[in-house]
Amino acid sequence: MAEKKRLLIVIRHSPYGSSLAKAAVDVALATAAFDQRVELLFTGEGVLQLMPDQDSQRLGVKNIGRQLASLPLYDIDRVYVDAEAAERYRVNLDAAAVAVERLSPHDMHRLMVAHDHLLGL
Amino acid sequence: MSVLLHTLSAAPSSAAFKDCLKVLQPGDAAVLMGDGVYAAVPDTEACGALLATGAQLYVLDTHAQLTGVTCTAQGIGLVDMDGLVALSERYCRQMAWY
Amino acid sequence: MSTPGADAFDAEGFLRDLSDWTPQVAEQIAAAEDIDLTPAHWEILELLRAYYREYDSSPAMRAMVKYCGLKLGPDKGRSIYLMSLFPGSPAKIGSKIAGLPKPDNCL
Repeated sequence: MAEKKRLLIVIRHSPYGSSLAKAAVDVALATAAFDQRVELLFTGEGVLQLMPDQDSQRLGVKNIGRQLASLPLYDIDRVYVDAEAAERYRVNLDAAAVAVERLSPHDMHRLMVAHDHLLGL
Repeated sequence: MSVLLHTLSAAPSSAAFKDCLKVLQPGDAAVLMGDGVYAAVPDTEACGALLATGAQLYVLDTHAQLTGVTCTAQGIGLVDMDGLVALSERYCRQMAWY
Repeated sequence: MSTPGADAFDAEGFLRDLSDWTPQVAEQIAAAEDIDLTPAHWEILELLRAYYREYDSSPAMRAMVKYCGLKLGPDKGRSIYLMSLFPGSPAKIGSKIAGLPKPDNCL
């Protein structure tokens, strides 16, 4: 069997401003559910998805933060974040729902080049 | 080997444009299309920032023509649809910034 | 207490409104699937509901297996065990009986 292609999902939209955040989670979980290799990079406004303490209960919408917390159960263990953007938006990554690795812009480029397919959402 | 081709279709003031700018590197290519073509206007901040990345820059000819961006900065090449296809064959990965 | 009527379920038998769920409703859905609920079933159903509260989604099979393993130990974190309780598609049928939405990544 051919070696599995590696997919990097580049997440760069805020969690509730559009349906793109939900789409990114869906693609990630579906990819993993079908046993494909997938990693995630949160960059720009996408880092806002990692804000701790999201609470969607009163609005009755899906809680993106909680859905991201389920990533390890799909064996999605490599999650990276644009350190500069997290700092700019004051996102407390230590309290984020999922463990992340902080990257510089240069490392983000290296990460992209290390994958076979890039999907920006 | 050429590795990373970016297609940039967001306006220069957008978050997507800035996100793209952050990772563009020498050895990459970027094709400006849609609202991204406005970054090909010479002597603009966006154009200067793009040129400073050292990436190979192109603008999609029909989109430049449509928007009236007829005079493009030196260092930004015009590319047509066939040229875009050729680029996508030359670069093994593509990232869309929209 | 009255059980919800046919219009409370979608075409595939999933409860439309999660708040309509009660253990009696679970028995009703399970009966329609030809499953007799035992304590072993209830353990998994409770776990699925806990999963939903924690992650705001129904698990696909992969996550269900791993979550069961984490919470109930390796003997129960196996697809063969879950298949024995909810034959066919444990993630789909388990979610249905637990009153959760259909898992997204499930055919």
